[in-house]
Amino acid sequence: MMKKHTWLKASWLMVTMLLGLIVFNTTTAHADTKEPHYVITTDTTFAPFEFQGQNGKYVGIDMDMLSAIAKKEHFTYKLVPIAFNSGAQGVLSGQFDAIIAGMTITPERQQVYDFGTPYYKTGIIAAVSPKSGITDLNQLRGKTVALKTGTGSAQYAVSIQKKYGFKVTYFNDSNTMYNAVALGNAAAAFEDDPVMKYAIKNGVKLKIITQPANGGEYGFAVKKGQNKELLAKFNAGYAAIKKDGTYDKIVAKYLGSNEAKFSGDAKENNSIIGLLKQNKNQFISGMIKTLQLTIFGIVFATIFGVLIGVLAVVPNKFAHGFSSTVIYIFRGLPLLVLAFFIYIGLPSLTGTKIPAIAAGLITLTLNEGAYIAAFVAGGLKHVDAGQMEAARSLGLPYWKAMRKVIMPQGIKLMIPSFVNQFIITLKDTSILSAIGIIELTQTGTVIISRNMQGFRVWFIVAMMYLIIITLLTFLAKWADKKFASK
Amino acid sequence: MTAKVTVKDLHKAYGDNEVLKGINLEVQENEVVVMIGPSGSGKSTFLRTLNKLEDPTSGEILINGYNLVDKKTDINKVRENVGMVFQHFNLFPHLSVLENVILAPVELGKMSKEDAKALGMQLLTQVGLAEKADAKPTQLSGGQKQRVAIARALAMKPSIMLFDEPTSALDPEMVGDVLQVMRDLAEDGMTMIVVTHEMGFAKQVADRVVFFADGYIREQGTPEEVFNNPQDPRAQDFLNKVLNV
Ligand SMILES: Nc1ncnc2c1ncn2[C@@H]1O[C@H](COP(=O)(O)OP(=O)(O)OP(=O)(O)O)[C@@H](O)[C@H]1O
Ligand SMILES: [Mg+2]
Repeated sequence: MMKKHTWLKASWLMVTMLLGLIVFNTTTAHADTKEPHYVITTDTTFAPFEFQGQNGKYVGIDMDMLSAIAKKEHFTYKLVPIAFNSGAQGVLSGQFDAIIAGMTITPERQQVYDFGTPYYKTGIIAAVSPKSGITDLNQLRGKTVALKTGTGSAQYAVSIQKKYGFKVTYFNDSNTMYNAVALGNAAAAFEDDPVMKYAIKNGVKLKIITQPANGGEYGFAVKKGQNKELLAKFNAGYAAIKKDGTYDKIVAKYLGSNEAKFSGDAKENNSIIGLLKQNKNQFISGMIKTLQLTIFGIVFATIFGVLIGVLAVVPNKFAHGFSSTVIYIFRGLPLLVLAFFIYIGLPSLTGTKIPAIAAGLITLTLNEGAYIAAFVAGGLKHVDAGQMEAARSLGLPYWKAMRKVIMPQGIKLMIPSFVNQFIITLKDTSILSAIGIIELTQTGTVIISRNMQGFRVWFIVAMMYLIIITLLTFLAKWADKKFASK
Repeated sequence: MTAKVTVKDLHKAYGDNEVLKGINLEVQENEVVVMIGPSGSGKSTFLRTLNKLEDPTSGEILINGYNLVDKKTDINKVRENVGMVFQHFNLFPHLSVLENVILAPVELGKMSKEDAKALGMQLLTQVGLAEKADAKPTQLSGGQKQRVAIARALAMKPSIMLFDEPTSALDPEMVGDVLQVMRDLAEDGMTMIVVTHEMGFAKQVADRVVFFADGYIREQGTPEEVFNNPQDPRAQDFLNKVLNV
């Protein structure tokens, strides 16, 4: 009796903590109730337009401009940095009110977005590794070109693909794309002129081989027909900062100086200790997010999984069907697809926004829970049918027999599978970086996009995962021992 | 005299396979009924319908006046009063011997844990296994397991006990101890229905012997009547085989 009570209490505590977490996440920014509040997405890395500054805060031309306009037009906003393609789709699904991410205005996009006044003229350029000896697009024939998913540059490159006879491959952020070229995995990259130039200025080892082509303009975008008020505020604010010189100051500030000015002392980058020191806060917050996702994910997936698993063995055909359908669907879907579906797909159906962390947890609960359900069902079926009959013949009601006789025997069989699943859950949290959760893996990506220290940063990230895994395994062993000795 | 068990025109089919084809039986208080018959004749199925481990297809079953076929009857209440002992013991392997015995009375709020422990020890003494109270079932021999299973069933203080071939899975030298426990129970006035192949036990202990074949009760009577002068040809044939080995 006592044990059941504390268990219930513990899981209730977890639920309230999670709800608190979600509510807290969504409402902090609402504190100022008088001013209209918006959720605006941007790219994770698109320097000099948006990138993380020294203390993890997003800076860049887009960022400073947005902040200046918000001040002028009296609105507040919550910024959600996420891969460009996901952000652009998130605006259409209603997850975000607007996007500002160096987004080129194209006729196709104008079908589905309303753009504000164009704020930056740009063109698309191609760059190669200086070691490659390539000087001309004609030399790309038969070679692979690196592109960034969903961007205007990618679209442009594909439009000239036939003419120059190259193959294409896609990346989700600029930095990985540059590295692919610098390391020789791809022959060239196409990117917007100011972005590419800025990266090269900051140490990316690439050489530009074309003049800016297919000149375009960047625009702030909302979903077509929606958020008209926000769009009007943006345009009014933009006109104002253009007029009073703020805009020019912002552009000069970023194009006129090295990124290091915003992201810290470059010398620190050369040692692992230095990197750790310099990015301490980001690593800690990434680790906390990963731990949050893992722990809450495990708790909810276990509750969900045990529930669904038990339904597979109760004497009820409907329950069996329900259980096996749930397992079939959520075990069958790739985690990434499920995450995108919940984060971007569901809001466009229901019209309600879901915070990324909640979407991530729901994803983990369903996917890891389905795996847990499968082995819980298997474990329970493995318990001899005579056990249930003996318990029932003594007058124990079904659920009491389940809890006191069947479950303890089944769970013993399941413990190795549970430990295994917990470790998989930890690793799977890294996939959730795709919906914009800045957990440990995404923290790594973001830091590298700033300092280009791929090897060292990934080394640190890998070590951190190993530390968490070790702690988790230790915990599991301890729990197992405690349980087994009982 | 009050009938503890009344069965009327009981049918049970698994799909097309009709296993019980119309069973009628009354068992009186304090009566010991032994059921014999060839394998597959439906003895286990019949016994299991008496505490609703199997649902009958049609017919009527009254246990202590409770109608088992009525959906409104609280089957758990009925089962508290009907102990069952299985061929394969079905002890709970994750619990100690004493915990096996006291699980049901404690979980069902019949008595405090202290009282249940005292009762458990008393029952284990009764079946000669007090010193095994803290052992795990895996540490027991088959005969010991079955005696624990009997103690476990008795802990709910049932007024009827069902035994389904309680000694069939035991080594021969273990059979005697288990039968002795059952004999003691019968002497104390327990109402018992026992499926067994132990003809010696049937002759000694049974008030009535019931012969099953092909889903029917073919013959019943006192042990003397059934064993010495069977009327049904199938019963004659069966007894010839089992008594003259
Ligand atoms: N769950 C079930 N599903 C289908 N058929 C069953 C089931 N249980 C029993 N039967 C069938 O019912 C018939 C009677 O079985 P039952 O176990 O009652 O016989 P029995 O008299 O106890 O035999 P034994 O002496 O071998 O234990 C057999 O033909 C058996 O195959
Ligand atoms: Mg049988």
